[in-house]
Amino acid sequence: MTAATLAGPRPRRRGRLGLVIHQVRYEQLSFWRNPQSAIFTFVFPVVFVALMGALFGTVGRSAYFGGLSALQYYVPTIAALCVLGSCYGQLAVALAARRQNGILKRVRATPLPAWAYFAGLLAHCVLVSLADIALIVGVGRLYGVPFPSQWPAIALTLVLGAASFCALGVAVASVISNAEAAPAVAQLVLFPLLFLSGTYMPIHSELLSQVTGWLPVRPFNEALTGPLARHAGTDWRHLAVLAGWGVIGALVAVRRFRWDPRPE
Amino acid sequence: MHPELTVAAAPAAAGVTQRQPDAITVTGLRKGYGSVQAVRDVSFGVRSGEIVALLGPNGAGKTTTLEILEGFRARDGGAVAVLGLDPGDKAAARELRERTGLVLQDTAVEPYLTVRETVARQAGYYQAPRGVAEVISLAGLAGLERRKVRSLSGGQKRRLDLALGLIGDPELLYLDEPTTGFDPAARRGAWDLVRALRAGGTTILLTTHDMAEAQALADRVVLLSNGAVLAEGPPAGLGGRDKERARISFTLPPGVPLAGLPVPAVMRGGAAVIETASPTGELHRLTGWALQRDITLSGLTVDRPSLEDVYLRLTRDGVPSGAAERSPR
Repeated sequence: MTAATLAGPRPRRRGRLGLVIHQVRYEQLSFWRNPQSAIFTFVFPVVFVALMGALFGTVGRSAYFGGLSALQYYVPTIAALCVLGSCYGQLAVALAARRQNGILKRVRATPLPAWAYFAGLLAHCVLVSLADIALIVGVGRLYGVPFPSQWPAIALTLVLGAASFCALGVAVASVISNAEAAPAVAQLVLFPLLFLSGTYMPIHSELLSQVTGWLPVRPFNEALTGPLARHAGTDWRHLAVLAGWGVIGALVAVRRFRWDPRPE
Repeated sequence: MHPELTVAAAPAAAGVTQRQPDAITVTGLRKGYGSVQAVRDVSFGVRSGEIVALLGPNGAGKTTTLEILEGFRARDGGAVAVLGLDPGDKAAARELRERTGLVLQDTAVEPYLTVRETVARQAGYYQAPRGVAEVISLAGLAGLERRKVRSLSGGQKRRLDLALGLIGDPELLYLDEPTTGFDPAARRGAWDLVRALRAGGTTILLTTHDMAEAQALADRVVLLSNGAVLAEGPPAGLGGRDKERARISFTLPPGVPLAGLPVPAVMRGGAAVIETASPTGELHRLTGWALQRDITLSGLTVDRPSLEDVYLRLTRDGVPSGAAERSPR
């Protein structure tokens, strides 16, 4: 201890909330300054919705889109895709990279508790997802998709979905040992699942819907479509499936997560 | 603390009970990775306010030892106390991290934050950190506060690493090869900083393969090879180099056979070399003999093995049998 620190009254440690806010602040700074993450997270979904709007904007409700207009269909699925990208994809890749270059080890050497680190990441991902969804709903409005009314249901679905996909992202980062493989593995799992879950086009196979209904992506699409496009309330059944995946992800993450780039 | 005083006060063995606990005591430490025994039997102590260098070739067990002390790895056997706490004990982890700082071998900083943000972020993790501006200037980064980390040079990033190790105002600082990649001026600067920290009461344990660094900084050196301590002591006396085996060398005069010299010598590198524990007497006999015969001993030098010579000799000869060849890292 230097004389200077002993002289004055000891500054009090930040409270738990203060510590999380401190973390979120720097996660946000890092995120928004990285052109790659900003572009992938925001430009792609907005361009996709705008394209769909240009292609199908004049087509009304149809049985092909389950009784919705094309844009009513795509606003929730692309919103779900954004949450997936900014929670699952972003975390799997960023954490694997941070572990590989020693940033996680350095964090572990400080008194920052692990829960505060992950709470900060989760809050950061929720914030990014919120901005994403607001943007997509806004673009959808330009193409005549009415604003949703069930805000509490949207908020709950968003937070639960973000938490579950964050847990899955951390789980994937825990299982992958090298950072170069992380983007490939993360996308390899996700991409077919997105297609089969109806993110890019409606799936009319009963069997396929049954199967994907038990995997993480489709329940999230459904749970967001209700309040975002049909003015429906909270979709508890799909949220329960999603939460189940979140728990599985969290269990894997807790058991397997490593801070150190080198195996024991 | 003066090196000689340190030696005089040295406890006979690590683990000696004292009222004021040492900063670090390591006794009989063991750690293996599969079939490779990275650390087989390491014991040493670091007293409060001391600078101790762990010196040794790659794979000697320096980093493994350091990582066990830092709490990153579990040990297989032996006793370890850091600031009176056991780094293997999860309950002590938070307090230890609050009171120790470390600079890792690899530079690990977020590319998109500025220098000031990076240090301020880390400062927020500690109960009583040092000032952000103060630490930035201590690390020699004044004027670069607003620069993005990604635009810093390699040496500047290492200095930022050093700043991150200091920001928590640690009682004990671990430096894992702290000046690798520094230019000579930056290295001098880092040495001055380390000495200034010690003057302020910080205990420092560093690893290095750089003899000059160990010589310049350390109060004591612990020489590791193949997971065991080969030698320990102040750099000036390591391996007994202050007491024995001075080296007298000169060009063999024309017409004089090696056997014709008054003292036994060997040819090494084109010069006649006498290795002796009593250089005063040997030199007297040699020069007396030369004066009598009016022989000039050209290129006559007397020196002692450098720290590097001792290091090379000890790490070559002192290898415990059956030692593992492979580094765990």
